Amino acid sequence: MTNDNRPTGLADENEAALSPEEMLLLLQNQQNDVYRQQLSPLPWMLGVWGVAWLVGFLLLWSAAPEGNPWLQVAGPAAAIGFAVLMAASIALSTVFGIRIGRGVRGESSFAGAVYGISWPLCGSAFAILGVALIRNGMSPELASLYFPSAFSLMVGTLYLAGAALWHQKSQLVLGIILLVTGSVAPFFGAPTNNLVMALLGGGSLLIAAALFAVRLRRVV
Amino acid sequence: MDELDPVIHASARLRITATLATLVAGDRLAFPRLQQLLGMTPGNLSTHLRKLEDAGYVEVTKAHQGRSPVTYLSLSSRGRGAFENYTENLKKLLGGTS
Repeated sequence: MTNDNRPTGLADENEAALSPEEMLLLLQNQQNDVYRQQLSPLPWMLGVWGVAWLVGFLLLWSAAPEGNPWLQVAGPAAAIGFAVLMAASIALSTVFGIRIGRGVRGESSFAGAVYGISWPLCGSAFAILGVALIRNGMSPELASLYFPSAFSLMVGTLYLAGAALWHQKSQLVLGIILLVTGSVAPFFGAPTNNLVMALLGGGSLLIAAALFAVRLRRVV
Repeated sequence: MDELDPVIHASARLRITATLATLVAGDRLAFPRLQQLLGMTPGNLSTHLRKLEDAGYVEVTKAHQGRSPVTYLSLSSRGRGAFENYTENLKKLLGGTS
């Protein structure tokens, strides 16, 4: 082909074939680069959720009289802070999710859309169930056990679905940790359950974010 | 020893094929996104895509996003097979095994 010594234009250069070693390396580098570019928002996504869980649940823990011995936060301020952190995380996740899947149409865009809508749908369902339980006599103490756990179980379940959809073992591990967090935290009673959520849930998300960032860097 | 497929055995077309091969079967990638992932000029990318399309390796779908037309690209099953064969042959050539 163009393996003579004449000066090559851009088209010729692209037409050229390198040695088999270089071609295999080119192939692998290109695919790694695609994965890195597409998955680069993931560590941010996990990091944002990790911070939101850690700070949000620490706020709730600090709002209870027998909670945080070092810092007390007013109940309404903690609730508002928690809600703002969660809403911001959902909004940022949506933006990151769109960035990951941009330019792609077809089979996986349907799966992605269903997965995306699952978050607000499941979130609303668990919240409505909580309100219904309160109206049927659930005490504020029980409610403060129910809501954090319901949230953790929902997120854990959705991570499992994400793991199945995108064949990601890291999401599977994270999903299981969040299911364990949500189901075990109530055994500690209120308000310690919030501390368990903050440390186990938030901590796992932050560790996952760091691990993912390192792995993405190593890919190239 | 099988020969390396000349359609894929050019650095630009290898990179295009390798990028499209990362898609799940049944998915298509928009032209501007493919261009961004490859860092190629639109003209250069079009030239090589045409060669891949002529060989029956790439399928081109036109769609509309609002009012502006968008071209989507994917590997045909023939193209996916050719890419897998090419990779296999490269490895055989280098490793001399299997």
